[in-house]
Amino acid sequence: MIRVVDLTKRFGPTVAVDQVSFEIGRGEVVGFLGPNGAGKTTTIRVLTGYHPATSGLAEVAGFDVQKHSLDVRKHIGYLPQEVPIYPDLRVVEYLRYRAELKGVRGKDRKLAVSRAMSRAGIENVSRKLVGHVSHGYRQRVGLADALVANPPILVLDEPTSGLDPNQRRRIKQVVRDLADEHTVLFSSHILSEVQDVSSRIIVIHRGSLRADGPPDDLVAHSTRATLHVGARCAGSLLREIVAVLPGVVEGTVEVADGDNGVAAVTSAIAPGQDPTEELGERLQKAAIAVRELKLVMPTLEEYFYAITDGSDDQGESVDDDVGDEGVAVAAVPDSEEGEQ
Amino acid sequence: MRGALTTIKKELLSYAVSPVSWIIAVLFYLVRGFEVAQQVGIFHVYRGDVNQFPQATYSVASTYMMVLLVPGILTMRCFAEERRTGSIETLMTAPVRDFEVVLGKWVAATLFFAILWLPSVCLLHAMEYDSYFGADISFGPVFAAYLGMFLLSGLLLAFGVFASSLTDNVLLSAILTILFNTTLTQSPNILRSVFGASSNEYYVRELISKLDVYGNFSNWFARGLIDTSQVAFYIGGIGFFVFLTWISVTSRRMV
Repeated sequence: MIRVVDLTKRFGPTVAVDQVSFEIGRGEVVGFLGPNGAGKTTTIRVLTGYHPATSGLAEVAGFDVQKHSLDVRKHIGYLPQEVPIYPDLRVVEYLRYRAELKGVRGKDRKLAVSRAMSRAGIENVSRKLVGHVSHGYRQRVGLADALVANPPILVLDEPTSGLDPNQRRRIKQVVRDLADEHTVLFSSHILSEVQDVSSRIIVIHRGSLRADGPPDDLVAHSTRATLHVGARCAGSLLREIVAVLPGVVEGTVEVADGDNGVAAVTSAIAPGQDPTEELGERLQKAAIAVRELKLVMPTLEEYFYAITDGSDDQGESVDDDVGDEGVAVAAVPDSEEGEQ
Repeated sequence: MRGALTTIKKELLSYAVSPVSWIIAVLFYLVRGFEVAQQVGIFHVYRGDVNQFPQATYSVASTYMMVLLVPGILTMRCFAEERRTGSIETLMTAPVRDFEVVLGKWVAATLFFAILWLPSVCLLHAMEYDSYFGADISFGPVFAAYLGMFLLSGLLLAFGVFASSLTDNVLLSAILTILFNTTLTQSPNILRSVFGASSNEYYVRELISKLDVYGNFSNWFARGLIDTSQVAFYIGGIGFFVFLTWISVTSRRMV
């Protein structure tokens, strides 16, 4: 449903997106990750036809974004990060207007608006002015707007940004429910959220693609796990046993001799390796009593930290900190990507 | 054209719920009511020609207020506000053609201007109940004058919509429009004073005359005369600025 090949977007001398390629199939829910200024919003804006690409190809529902922008827009429901809606209209008026603009008319429109409000959980504020509802509700009005024409593809740019835990939970549930009928690309800074909802993640950093795949696979195959062993023996002996195990990263074995003759060893284990069974057998053969043996898998957060060089991109990159008019602006600490 | 119709409806709703629109309407009818009452008094005292009365009511301060100030205020939000708040992103990513959005915004501004202006005809209609005017006011020329005002305001609003597409600052958009409209309506008088009202150069005289957008209204339509070349001039001007606005808006997708 979405195909991006060597997509590059420059704003003057600034490269916001650099030769990014990925494909998203029908019915996939894909999390789009990256630090602030990584190029997520720019990529999304190219996909929605808001910005043209400098080079490369972007296709949505089989239509070239550049050549058939109108067809692309008919197939996309888009929720920008900062939901900009007309404050002087009532929620229901705004949604009726958006539905009509998207070609939903007559009786269908009433039904579509009602269904979208129900899905986003905003029926109770339908008669309120958009300018008078809270940030969380406004975000959900934006979500209802994205859903109102029931498009096959949904692009949600940080849909949970600035929401409280209950509101986040609600949005996550909506995204999960949407997965049955829609292809969803959604960006977020909250990694656990992405892991909960997505079957796949795409990580972009400094405009370049860094990872693409199911989150568990990526984490397991790309980041070191940590082995913790506690046994009743001398620390030096335990070190010798652990150091020769397959997957143990050289120079990472650390030993601590504890009380009562119990030694503890920790070691980094190469991605995709699990030496716990073999270690268990060796310790059994050596008749060493085991107090603790566990392999701690890395979290998505650690994986994200590793592949983005631990960078928050603040003050060192302006990759995606590009204003609406294509003018590069200085990165501001704690700035939101909505300012890109 | 469904996108344009949807945009017109939404824009009219926004105008209707905006306090600015109501402030303009109240101010306009306060000033205009006072001015018309003054004109009635003058016609009573000097026994003026009843058929000249409608024309006399066009050359008053409230007309200038509507022509010079109101287009800038009405159109300042068209695109500048959308850009300032970021709603331009949801608008431009909706499945609607840019031209339809531009056209819709201009039509809505012009219709709302007409809604503000049209009730002023009631003031003329009320004169039929006056002892002096009786039923003598002919509404044929009044129709011509209102058509002229509709075309003139359409042109000035078209520039306003264009100015609004150039910036994200609503105040700047309004000031730009007011300055442009003032220049457009006043420059022919300045040019005439520079070149002389009876310039020997035929083309200079004609050019100044054609560019005199307010003069075309006051010298022709306001006197009950409809000249198709003048109508074509206004429509051409409107088309020109609507086209420029479309270029300005759609250029976003090109860079």
